[in-house]
Amino acid sequence: MAVSFEYVAKETATNLWRNRMMALAAILTVAVSLSLVGTALLLRQAVNRQIGQWSNNVSLQVFMDASASTGQIANVRSTIAQTPQITHCTYLDHAQSYEQAKKLLASSPTAIEALTPATTPTVFRCQLRNPSEAATVSATFNGGVPGVYQATSPSQSIRVMQQVTNVLQVILLVIAIVLLVSSLVLILNAIRMAIFARRREVGVMKLVGATNWFIRVPFMLEGLVQGLLGALVAAVIVLLSNLGVGYLIRHYKVSVLGSAVLPAHDLVVTELLVVLIGLVVGVAGSSVAVRRFLDV
Amino acid sequence: MIRFDNVTKSYKGQPPALGGISLEIQKGEFVFLVGSSGSGKTTFLRLLLREAVPDTGAIWVAGRNIGELSHWRVPSLRRNLGCVFQDFRLLPNKTVTENVAFALEVIGRPRNVISNQVGQVLELVGLGQKGDRMPHELSGGEQQRVAIARAFVNRPLVILADEPTGNLDPATSQGIMKLLDRINRTGTTVVMATHDVGIVDTMRRRVIELDRGRLVRDQARGVYGAAEDMTTSTRGVPAVAVAAGLDRMLGAEPTTGRVAAVRARRGQR
Ligand SMILES: Nc1ncnc2c1ncn2[C@@H]1O[C@H](COP(=O)(O)OP(=O)(O)OP(=O)(O)O)[C@@H](O)[C@H]1O
Ligand SMILES: [Mg+2]
Repeated sequence: MAVSFEYVAKETATNLWRNRMMALAAILTVAVSLSLVGTALLLRQAVNRQIGQWSNNVSLQVFMDASASTGQIANVRSTIAQTPQITHCTYLDHAQSYEQAKKLLASSPTAIEALTPATTPTVFRCQLRNPSEAATVSATFNGGVPGVYQATSPSQSIRVMQQVTNVLQVILLVIAIVLLVSSLVLILNAIRMAIFARRREVGVMKLVGATNWFIRVPFMLEGLVQGLLGALVAAVIVLLSNLGVGYLIRHYKVSVLGSAVLPAHDLVVTELLVVLIGLVVGVAGSSVAVRRFLDV
Repeated sequence: MIRFDNVTKSYKGQPPALGGISLEIQKGEFVFLVGSSGSGKTTFLRLLLREAVPDTGAIWVAGRNIGELSHWRVPSLRRNLGCVFQDFRLLPNKTVTENVAFALEVIGRPRNVISNQVGQVLELVGLGQKGDRMPHELSGGEQQRVAIARAFVNRPLVILADEPTGNLDPATSQGIMKLLDRINRTGTTVVMATHDVGIVDTMRRRVIELDRGRLVRDQARGVYGAAEDMTTSTRGVPAVAVAAGLDRMLGAEPTTGRVAAVRARRGQR
């Protein structure tokens, strides 16, 4: 037997309207929690991109003296090759190193002016097997190896920033999960009230032989619509905040943060995820309500 | 049409509400289910509807053992059983027409069929002019007619009625009985639980009496009480007189074209 689309749509709409205060509470909670989820996800992606840009995924840089001889450079290269903690290295000569410096210092033109390719130190950019070994490894190069100016690991501040954003993300996600659970409960309760409000109709439906699905579908759909509406609100909020951040960065020409603006692809994936979670929460809430409170 | 094979049903921690019931009801019969309060009449009807399942024994409806019916087949059983209750169970925010149409809507009947059938059945129960009324704008008797229309609109094989006249005065009750009799004459089996002595004694149909869950009497053309009560009615009116009145009323009722049409359709099934 085909479930009449018109009937189901009408029933769902009437239910939502009759229960509009409960529905609104559920929708807003879904919206707030999913906004947090979306924000946390975007923050994570932005920070990772930005840090990746700053440190170029390098966990150790060995700067040579600008005047280091080819022999000294070859020496350092073989030392690197013999250090098991180092997995991979690239060498930037004067010209490459100068280009890189110009990019990183884009926001301070005076610093660039002071540099020429010849005075820019050449550098080995290395990846470590394990970034936490950076301090030990850099110590071996800082111990007076001829021609080495300095070995550095990504600055303390980047690591602190990484840790802060990690903590921030965890906090956001925990709040989001708590809110998601409460929105699930709110949806469940909204559906329970809808079932209670329509117990007479449900009784008659069972009596005259309506199928279980016919009785259930409008309630399930009601939960799904609540989840979906909340998710859509959240998606808009996430989109707007992302646009806002992008606008601020461009408007104030904070080019060091240029990479924090996410490409459209990442944004779309995040938005889809937000909508999907909303649907899941709506369907989960209403299935539990239908199972527990609608004995067909 | 309906067969009980040694059916037992008890609710938790109580003596059996029904014990070892075996009986058979033929298609087209009109059966009164009598017995004092708590004797198991409602339980009998609930088992037929599969709102409850027997502890032991088997119940057959239209050739199907309904105890073995899988969960998703129960709706199709119920589409063959129309139900009427003492408290009408109408939807208060729907008109008469909508109330009756609801029964067809929720089993997915197409709209043109619905408007056709609803119009017909409202004429049959004598509410052709009151389709736009709300239930609270109707008398109790009229509300019960709406409930009967809703039970009958899908042309069930059986009408199950649990004290359908329990809330109605004697004159109105007679009207309801006239209607149920009319429906019965279309070939629909009617099983009616009742405490109404006057009705049982005047209709003189098959009477099944339960006593604390046991079948104690199954009598063709029976009366409410034991046989010696036949000549007296509870209301002090000789039962014979009431019977004569009701018989005249029922007998004088000409078979209308509509009833004949319904009958014909039944025959075709
Ligand atoms: N849902 C239930 N749970 C537990 N016990 C029940 C339930 N329904 C009925 N009973 C018990 O089963 C027995 C039969 O009840 P039933 O309702 O079938 O009687 P009845 O003949 O319809 O009575 P009445 O004439 O008052 O309507 C009673 O003892 C009653 O207390
Ligand atoms: Mg009863």
